[in-house]
Amino acid sequence: MTTSTLAMHILNGLAYGMLLFMIAAGLSIIFGLMNIVNLAHGTFYLVGVYVAYTFVQQGTGFWPALLLAIVIVAALGMVMEKVLMERVYGKELEQVLLTFGLSFIFADVVKWIWGSSPLTLPVPSALDFSLNVGLTEFPAYRIFVIGIGCLLAAGLWYMENKTRIGAIIRAGVDDREMLAALGINIKIVFTAIFAVGAALAGLSGVLGGPIMGMYVGIDSEILVSSLVIVVVGGLGTWKGAFIGAILIGLTDTLGRVWFPSLTMAMIFVIMIMVLLIRPNGLFGRGAQA
Amino acid sequence: MKASAYGKHIGCIALFLLCPFILTSYGVKLASEVLIMAIFVMSLGLIIGFAGLVSLGHAAFFGLGAYAVALLGNHWENTYLLLISALVISGLAAFLSGLLFIRSSGAYFLMITLAFGQMIYAIVYKLEDLTGGADGMAVVASPNLGAGPIDSRLGFFYLTAVAFLISYYFLRLLIASPFGKSVRGIKENESRMTALGYQTRTYKLAVYTISGMLAGVAGALYAYFNQYVSPDLLYWMFSGQALIMVIVGGVGTLVGPAIGAGFFVVLQNYISSFTDRWPLIMGLIFVLIVLFGKGGIMQIAALLWQRFRPQRNSKPAQQAMAKEGNGIESVKS
Repeated sequence: MTTSTLAMHILNGLAYGMLLFMIAAGLSIIFGLMNIVNLAHGTFYLVGVYVAYTFVQQGTGFWPALLLAIVIVAALGMVMEKVLMERVYGKELEQVLLTFGLSFIFADVVKWIWGSSPLTLPVPSALDFSLNVGLTEFPAYRIFVIGIGCLLAAGLWYMENKTRIGAIIRAGVDDREMLAALGINIKIVFTAIFAVGAALAGLSGVLGGPIMGMYVGIDSEILVSSLVIVVVGGLGTWKGAFIGAILIGLTDTLGRVWFPSLTMAMIFVIMIMVLLIRPNGLFGRGAQA
Repeated sequence: MKASAYGKHIGCIALFLLCPFILTSYGVKLASEVLIMAIFVMSLGLIIGFAGLVSLGHAAFFGLGAYAVALLGNHWENTYLLLISALVISGLAAFLSGLLFIRSSGAYFLMITLAFGQMIYAIVYKLEDLTGGADGMAVVASPNLGAGPIDSRLGFFYLTAVAFLISYYFLRLLIASPFGKSVRGIKENESRMTALGYQTRTYKLAVYTISGMLAGVAGALYAYFNQYVSPDLLYWMFSGQALIMVIVGGVGTLVGPAIGAGFFVVLQNYISSFTDRWPLIMGLIFVLIVLFGKGGIMQIAALLWQRFRPQRNSKPAQQAMAKEGNGIESVKS
């Protein structure tokens, strides 16, 4: 393999990793803070990309469609949390039942409305060209996705470590009851975090549309990859999600090139190796085992 | 067990074995499917209800059992040999994965088993030369217990019925045994059992392995039943459905998961016959159960359960209902 193709694969892996990061970040924080395994998190990705597709078809252009889709998905997340999730906090089996059921419902509704044949979201025309990145020519759009992912990671890191909201979230991950006892309105925090997590997954869906394509079933595939990232990276930290996502994105992409017969299994091998060495994930805080 | 209790059991078994005479041919086939699913879901109910291990990767063991029959069936004909191979392969997979995962618990265990199941799925999916990949493969072997091939629907029903009864009574004995009681003790309070000197992980690993074996047997029967296996049998959505059947049927009971399996298999067959929207309807059922669960299927099953067995077993059923709300939640806090 020449250096230039290797560079191309690495960039592809990074772009994929960034898309996964956007989902895993929300999943990880929701899990860390509310102790919910949200099996419906892939749904936000799915709904995001299909809603954006419809807006693009209506002629709004890519960027307004992106914004609208994110707002709609965030609203969906908020409603879901307020109406349904609130009832199942602390009841693990009911959470599984509820979120699994929701993912079935939304996947089937999406299939109903948009059909089951794969669709593609076109690359926005402003970014539809190739950039020379030194070693290789690479689609500008994917560079853009990598850039957005890094910016988002930096922003979330800043928020987690330097702001009051971040302090509340960190405290909540460590001890919810204590946080509530200190007078923080934990219900609002939960709703907000759920909506933000949904919005991030929606963002990932829309940005991923031109790269990954769109079809019913991608929601569960991407959910499983994100869960692996959460396990690998450790619960409740943006940093863990970021490093984990890059690791998994690269492993998956390079695995496809070097070990095509083991493609999908590679990321699980990584997960098992990480668990053997660090049972709480790379950046887990050790409270959970 | 008192004589009257024996009588009741024998009566139930007799009724059960007479089922084919009131069912249509299609009904007999459906009943076989229900029984196979019931064995699978009971195996999952064992670790969820009695050991507190909520797994979302149990289809991996079911699928391994099915593929064992499909693949080895190309070389061997002996049904006993194939069933035992399925049992050993699934048990081995459960044992090895359990060695790694059993120390996790709660939602963490859920995610790790899910990922493990997906790994097995991915391997089977990608080994196209061997397994046929996404297209799946036909099962050549046909069941034969030594008295000629079992090729009628009725014959197959009795094969699955016997397998189901053996599994059920085996699990009953297991749960009532000192071993089963220790496992339940670990679910109730692991630190106390550790303090009492129990190697809690060993117990959990043992019960997880047994559960995997049983799932493998169910998978093997399914391969015979369906004459065709595909990677969908290992996909996490299938694990999820089994998990739902356990929850809907009743966590912490033995018969509950079997009822849950029957409920869903029959409903799916019925609804799929006139609409393609089964996933939507199934999803709505899940959500409705969560919203109105206290008056839903779990409650009804528990009430019926209590009515049929008023004295001895009403307590676990009640406990299961009472605990339904706060299941595994205590793990993290």
